[in-house]
This record gives sequence, C-alpha cells and structure tokens, in this order.
Amino acid sequence: MSNYKKTYVTLSSIVVFMFFFSYMLVPLYDIFCEITGLNGKTNQERIVDLNEKPTNRFVTIKFTSTVAGAGPFDFEPLEREMVVEVGKVYTTSYILTNQSNSLKQVTASPSVVPGAEAEYFKKIECFCFTQQEINGLETKELPLQFIIDDKLSSDTNTLILSYTMFNTTDQLGAK
Amino acid sequence: MSTNVQDIHEDHHHTPSGLMRWITTTNHKDIGSLYLWFSLLMFFVGGFMALIIRAELFEPGLQLVVPGFFNQMTTMHALIMIFGAVMPAFVGLANWQIPIMIGAPDMALPRLNNWSFWILPFAFTMLLSTLFFDSGGPAAGWTLYPPLSLQGGNSMPFVILSIHLLGISSILGAINVIATILNMRAPGMTLMKMPIFIWTWLITAFLLIAAMPVLAGAITMLLTDRFFGTSFFTASGGGDPVMFQHIFWFFGHPEVYILILPAFGIVSTIIPAFSRKKLFGYDSMVYATASIALLSFIVWAHHMFTVGMPLAGEIFFMLTTMLIAVPTGIKVFNWVATMWRGSMTFETPMLFALAFIILFTIGGFSGLMLAMTPADFQYHDTYFVVAHFHYVLVPGAVFAIIAAVYYWLPKWTGKMYSESLGKLHFWLTTIFVNLTFFPMHFVGLAGMPRRIPDYPVQFADFNAIASVGAFGFGLSQLLFIYILYNTLKRDVTAEDKVWDGAEGLEWTLSSPPPYHSFEKAPRVE
Repeated sequence: MSNYKKTYVTLSSIVVFMFFFSYMLVPLYDIFCEITGLNGKTNQERIVDLNEKPTNRFVTIKFTSTVAGAGPFDFEPLEREMVVEVGKVYTTSYILTNQSNSLKQVTASPSVVPGAEAEYFKKIECFCFTQQEINGLETKELPLQFIIDDKLSSDTNTLILSYTMFNTTDQLGAK
Repeated sequence: MSTNVQDIHEDHHHTPSGLMRWITTTNHKDIGSLYLWFSLLMFFVGGFMALIIRAELFEPGLQLVVPGFFNQMTTMHALIMIFGAVMPAFVGLANWQIPIMIGAPDMALPRLNNWSFWILPFAFTMLLSTLFFDSGGPAAGWTLYPPLSLQGGNSMPFVILSIHLLGISSILGAINVIATILNMRAPGMTLMKMPIFIWTWLITAFLLIAAMPVLAGAITMLLTDRFFGTSFFTASGGGDPVMFQHIFWFFGHPEVYILILPAFGIVSTIIPAFSRKKLFGYDSMVYATASIALLSFIVWAHHMFTVGMPLAGEIFFMLTTMLIAVPTGIKVFNWVATMWRGSMTFETPMLFALAFIILFTIGGFSGLMLAMTPADFQYHDTYFVVAHFHYVLVPGAVFAIIAAVYYWLPKWTGKMYSESLGKLHFWLTTIFVNLTFFPMHFVGLAGMPRRIPDYPVQFADFNAIASVGAFGFGLSQLLFIYILYNTLKRDVTAEDKVWDGAEGLEWTLSSPPPYHSFEKAPRVE
C-alpha cells in the first residue's frame, strides 16, 4: 500500500508546487526583464549617485502620453521632442489637467522604446515613482529629470518615452 | 449499456439502479461511459455555437447576431470544445481502456474518479449559465487576455470558478491515471511492454498535473486583480498584461499536447491492428512522445511573437518550436512504416486513423509555417491560425477519438456497429471537415483577421464554402449518434477478439468485459 501512498504524495506535491510556481513566474519574469532590460521596462529605481559624463554624442528623445480608459484628464508632454547629449542631466515635464470637479488620484506608468535600450534611460526625478493627487480642475506640472547612460548602443539615435496615466481614484476611497 | 453485466455480478454487488447507479458509481467502465456521453453532449453544444459563428460568417455584413454575442460564441465554443469535448473524451477513453489494457480490475482511486467526473456537469452549468446574464457570457476569447478580460461583465468570476473546477477535475483524473498505470499493471508488464496508448496517457497525465495548476494560478491572479486590488496584470498598479500571456501560454502550450498525445496513442494502436503488423519503432514512439512533452514547456512564447519580444527571444522560441517537428516526424514516419507492406484492411476505425495521419500532418505543416517568426508576423491572429489549430484538433484529436470509439465500441457493448454506416459517417465527415477548414488557409493568408463577425467582400466566397462545410460536418455527426443508437439496438454480437489483427489484454476479455475487468491479474510474457 505504501507504493500507492508514495505516488499520491508525489503527484499532489507536484500539483501544489506548480500552482505556486505560477506565482513565482511573476517575480522571475520581472527579474528576467530587469536583468536583460527586455519588454521596455524602465528602471523604476531612482538614480542616486549621479555622475555626469558628457560624451558629445547626441540622441533624440520623443515624449508621448496616453490617458488610460476614459479618465477625465488632459495629459501632455511639455516638449514633444528633445535633442540631448548622452551622459548629461536634463529636465522636462508633463502637464496634467483634471477636467472633472472632484479630487482624483492618478498613477503614471512609463515605457521606453526600443525595449532593449530601456535600461539606459535613467530617471533621477520622475512623477511615475509615486501616486499623485490632483484637485478638481487643477493643472499640475509633473517634473521629470533624466540622464541617458553612455552604455546606450551606438545604433540607437532615437528613444521614445511614453507615459500612460491611470485613474486610480478607486484606491483613494479604499484607504 | 452494461446492465446485463451488472446482473451477472448481482451476488456480490448491491449497486443502486436507475439514476443513482450513475451518480454513485465507482466503476471505471460506468465512469468512462459517463465521460464519453458527456463529451458527446458538449461536442454538440460547442458545435452548435460553431454553427452560429459560421452562419454569421456565411456572407459579409452583420445578419444574425450582434458582434458582442458573436464574441461570446467564439469564446464559449473554444472553452467548451477544449475542456468539455476533447479532454473529457480522452479521460473517458482512459477510464474504459487503462484497466482492461494493463490487466487491472479497476482504476486505483474509484471514488476520486466518480468525483472528478461529477464536477464537470456543475462546472459547465455554471459556465453556460453566463450566457443568460444581462451582461452576457465571456467575450474576451478563451485565452482571457487582460486588460480586455478584466473589463468584461459579471460573467468573469463565474467563468474563472468553472475553469478552476475543470482544472481540479482534470488534475484528479490525471493523478488517478498515473496511480493506476504505475501501480496496477499485470505482473510481467514492464514499462516498455505497456501498450502505446497507455504510454501516451501516462505522459499526458504528467503534463496535466504540471500545466493545469499554472492555469489555475493565472486565472486566480486575474480574479484578484479584478476584485481584490492586486496588480499582477493591471498597468495602473505597475502590473504587466503581457505577463499574463507568458503565464497563460506556459500552461497553454502543454495543454495543446494534452489534447493530442492520447490521439497519437490511439492512432498508434489502430494502425498496427489493421496493418496486421507490430507497431514500427515502439521504443522510438515512446521517446518521441516524451520529448514532445518536455519540449512543450519551453516553446510557449511562439503564441505571442508579436508582443514585442527581443530578437533573442524570438529566435529561441522559433528554433525550439521547430525542434518539435523532429519527434513528430518520427511518429508520422513510424505510422507509415507500420503500414508498409502490411496486410491492410480499411474498416471504419482504420479510415479515421488514416485520415488522422494525413490531415494532422497538414495541420503540423501549417504549424511549422507559423513557427517561423517573420512569417508569423504576417499570419498572427488571422484565419490561417484558425485553419492550423482546427486541422490539428478536429481531423486530429476529434478524428482519433471517433476512431477509438469505433475500434473499442464492440468491446464495450458486445455489439458490432454497422460497417456501412460507419464508412458513410467517415466519408461525410472527412469531406466536410476539409470543406470547412481548408478555405480558411486562403482567407488567412490573404489577411482576414480571426474573431470578427464581419469581413471585407473579397473573403466572401471562401467563407461561404467554409460555412457550407461546417453545416455539413455538423449534420454528419447526427449520423454518428444514430450509429451509436443503432449499435446498441442491433442484434449483431461482437466476438471477444473483434479485430483479427488487434493485440492487447483487452481482447482476452469477453465483449462486453465483466464488471471487475480483471479479477485475476493476467501474466504478460
């Protein structure tokens, strides 16, 4: 009979393991993307030790924006395009207007194209790090400070930074 | 079906009669029959949905249904055919055949067996009930990709719970299969002497217990994203919708082989029987099946070449996918080599098995085309994909199941089916299945997207042909029901060894087999 028991225990533990493995895939996938810079995931870490190394190499950065769903927002980059020197710090911003009458909470999620170069787009100051609150009919300037790492591949001369603005007011009520 | 068998064993069996007999049964043959009848019912429910889809697509424009309902039909058709028709049919065949092929009295876990079947009617009642909701059934496709699936109506938690139940049912069934095969074989039947159908089911069962929990995890994450504020896939909380596709297809690709490996086993059983030769390359068949199963875990992203993966990923998944053609090619070669210079006859099961080899190989070739990343960018989400997976699932998996039913039906019932009606069923089915799915290759290559209720007029002719084929195919299956009915009513008894070229322990039993299949374990030399 112990043979049977061994079979059941082994098989059931495979099932349990695989269920949790599906959850483990989430961090594994994130770690994999972080290491390789795939999937356009930008560095969500704030850069602290800042060392500017101007390289006299110039690339174009394009800024785009999207409002997710039918959020009552106007969300646009201040500058649509910048030519920046690799290894130097630049500052720009996005303009967010709440077109409704009530307090809203929002989160922006960044994405960089081409994805393989995303890790070299380093953000020093970014409104994407935190949840923002915005009063009804208020207009806010959301600053962004960044530096392009000199490890950026020499084939790349244009990077696109895109932000999607999400309305997370539901989570405000939940708190 | 086997009431007379039960009577013989009345002395030591006090089973309830009527409906309670089927509800309380722990007998592998009863449960096998329940699974098979249930899957036949679901085959018709899912087929009816397919006919709604094909009726709408008969001509351009919107005629019969609104687009939202059309999307519910494509979603439900897939869920029902995969989880309701093909998978339960294979489990039913496993229940009937495994004990009588390995010389065991019953399955290892009879009560669990009963439970894993009786979960299914509840799961499908819940799934189908969503069609009557105000917000309708699920309409985001059976793959349930977020963010669309998270935005669906109230059906979503019902669909997820019913998929959970289906998963539990399959996992329990798989555990039962493995426990039976590993522990209850007749003395002398070493692993490499097992019938090939048993081998393919053993490997399938391992795929099931490894893959189904991953699906359970993925849909649980969807559920918590929607109702409990987690952000696995919602971008506003830092989640990533593409991650769902990775997790889903990590389950989904092994699932594809869950749907086809038992079919390989069936064809590898039938071809030798009607060629009157031993299966060519038994060992290589076993190793090929195992390597297909292993490879299935590292090829998942070929379903999502267009999500923006890096070049290295696309090349990796392209090459591993193409590698699967090697063991599959070995199988097709072995089937052909088995027939080579055999004394072949063409009874109905053999006809379906032969059609399987030819038509499944067509589906395999279109799969190779889709595996090529640059080509897939063109084919992705077109009718070419629809043609591909219907070729491997309908004249693949479904033909194998029908072949198995014709092959073992005389053994199960003790009655012989009508050969001429069987052949008629085969020819109608084969002609219409090609009429339905072959034109889809052409409209797909010309750029017709899948999952749409309307299309530009240049696709009209081929779609009309496909719709005619689909109705012909569906109506031909009514003949199958009649053949089953006719077999049970007929007065033509089947011999114990129904097919003179067949080999295996099941043919040493009476037709139909006794209630406890092998009360004394046979010895295998």
